[in-house]
Amino acid sequence: MLFNEVYGAYYNAVAAILSEAVKDKITDARINEIVRDKAFFESILTIPAALKDGAWPLISADGSTPLKREPEMPLTELQRRWLKALLSDPRIKLFGVDETGLEDVAPLYSPDVFVCFDRYSDGDDYSDPRYIESFRTILTALREKRKLKIKFKSSRDIEKKWVCVPCRLEYSSKDDKFRLLTFSPRNALTINLGRIKSVTLLEPYSEEEFKPVEYRKERLVLEVKNERNALERTLLSFSHFEKEAERLDDNRYRLTLYYERDDATELVIRVLSFGPVLKVIEPEGFRAQVYERIKKQQKLRG
Amino acid sequence: MAYSELIKNFERIRAYMRDFFVYGFKSRSEFDLKSARSYDNERRRIESWLGGYMGFRQDERGKNVFLSVDSRAAAENPLYKAFKAKSFTAGDITFHFWILDLLADGRTVSIREISDAFSEEYAARFDNFDGLDNSTLRKKLKEYAELGLVRAEKRGRELVYSLSEDKVDLSSWSEALAFFSEADPLGLVGSFLLDKLDEKQDYFRFKHHYILHTMDVEVLYALVEAISEIRAVELTVLSRRISSEKTHTVFPIKIYISAQTGRQYLLAYHYRYKRPMFYRLDTIRSVVPGSVEHNPGRYSGWYEKFAACLWGVSAGEAPDLDHIEMTVRFEPHEKYILDRLEREKRCGKVELLDEYTARFSADVFDASELLPWLRTFIGRIVSLECTNKYVTDTFYADIDAMAALYGGERDAV
Repeated sequence: MLFNEVYGAYYNAVAAILSEAVKDKITDARINEIVRDKAFFESILTIPAALKDGAWPLISADGSTPLKREPEMPLTELQRRWLKALLSDPRIKLFGVDETGLEDVAPLYSPDVFVCFDRYSDGDDYSDPRYIESFRTILTALREKRKLKIKFKSSRDIEKKWVCVPCRLEYSSKDDKFRLLTFSPRNALTINLGRIKSVTLLEPYSEEEFKPVEYRKERLVLEVKNERNALERTLLSFSHFEKEAERLDDNRYRLTLYYERDDATELVIRVLSFGPVLKVIEPEGFRAQVYERIKKQQKLRG
Repeated sequence: MAYSELIKNFERIRAYMRDFFVYGFKSRSEFDLKSARSYDNERRRIESWLGGYMGFRQDERGKNVFLSVDSRAAAENPLYKAFKAKSFTAGDITFHFWILDLLADGRTVSIREISDAFSEEYAARFDNFDGLDNSTLRKKLKEYAELGLVRAEKRGRELVYSLSEDKVDLSSWSEALAFFSEADPLGLVGSFLLDKLDEKQDYFRFKHHYILHTMDVEVLYALVEAISEIRAVELTVLSRRISSEKTHTVFPIKIYISAQTGRQYLLAYHYRYKRPMFYRLDTIRSVVPGSVEHNPGRYSGWYEKFAACLWGVSAGEAPDLDHIEMTVRFEPHEKYILDRLEREKRCGKVELLDEYTARFSADVFDASELLPWLRTFIGRIVSLECTNKYVTDTFYADIDAMAALYGGERDAV
């Protein structure tokens, strides 16, 4: 039972309200605050009223509760089985989790149930002890807000050293790789974890030093001709971008999406993969790159 | 019935969310509706759950609603919120918090003792609450035992209940949960677990992260359960081509997932058609578990050999395999093209013909599935040959069409 109220936002909000009411009488203002934080936009219209008018007999009119303890729900069978399934995932070694409590639990699925058929085959080696050590050191730095000194091999096979503030750990399912987004006072750098030779924890950084570089988003406007189910294919393929789609007429649609500049080359070949059902409208530079490749291909055919 | 932001059943909202997320240009009048009010209610619910991701645009057909999520910038999949909006009764929520509180001290109690304690320790504080009758208690306790929240055991002739033992230290999992709640196909369960933690780690981000499959997670869960229990299933599938629903009795084998589009497929053996079939999960309306398959090897023994000739999720129509060869040339500074061929090929082989020329070749069920990938090498392909003529004809016709598209009138599509 995946769709069940015990996992719902309302139960979570009420649990948080009761946790406070057990310790001391809770005010209406505090109830509203918790509802806004834990539930949905319109929940403020229902949860406080249901608690106040006794429809849900959990909080008395004076803000106290008959409950004796803070509500604590044990893990459900589904949750235990899902955690157990994760123990067979090679990436779980990166995290050093405590497996206690899952000894006699049947996993929700076995790892070979899922086949990621178009994932690239040169993903990171999650069983490499050096990789695991680097990953865990990076997690510590992110958790404790500390700087790092990283030795890594660049894409041109040159060994480099980089002292930085780690910002985000980014995973791509397509590449099956982790990348660390970092910055220093002068520059920002993204490092593939697979290229890291060693990582050393340095001193904590201050709030003022945490100034992640804002990547400038580029705008790409495409026109989709709805042949060969192109509309659905295009919209699904680009659905991970911030985007908007408009209908131009019964068969033509305009798709505007926003991407990070570093991904331009990847996006050029993704646009090409759709063939003539997709046309770049702007920017001109992007359009020129696509056309250049097409002309080159025509010449190769002779 | 009065409007509520909570819902009893996920199926109807699933279609609306998909349309708002994928298309976003349909107006109110274009939705297949029982009534205009149902559209208004569903839109209002989605706005309550996901207001920050919702946008509106006006065109000549009316107001269009769309959902737009830059999934690379988000630490959490916002669509999970829809699964946290299940409706319930006053009795449900009352029972939930009373029973957790009553059993928290480790006691083991019968229904009679629960009923007495509920009346004396909890209901007595509220004048206008009638309490929970024994039949409701019995039903809820059975449900909670199935969920694994309480343990039921016999004491003499009566059933007694206690809180399930939970020794998992979730705090040691907080970073793994932040990661797997997004990266695992059933990560929704991880999102439920994250809600139990006081602090959430927000330093993971996900590139090429497709979240639309969230809408199909109930179907996925039912299929995964059936696969692990080695059960047949009856699928109700919507055929988009003929816009009708059909049922199929199949033996589920694998879930195929595309990391490049997010699409998910079931690979199953079709008992009546006597062959493997793929079904897109977003076309499956329901999954009914059937009987345990006592001879699973008979219906899945072919898998390894079958998988070796699949490029994507098509077993093709013709009995013979398609043979395909693509030769590409690259510049001295473009050795990454060779790396691309190696890492992106899903079957077949890559040979170096000279220092800067490489040939990819493969035998596959349906070579037309390679067309999008072949096009990513446009500008470098010196030869393309395939026993399926449709593939080469389509490839070269598309090149000409694309050249006309960019070289001709600027507005031509």
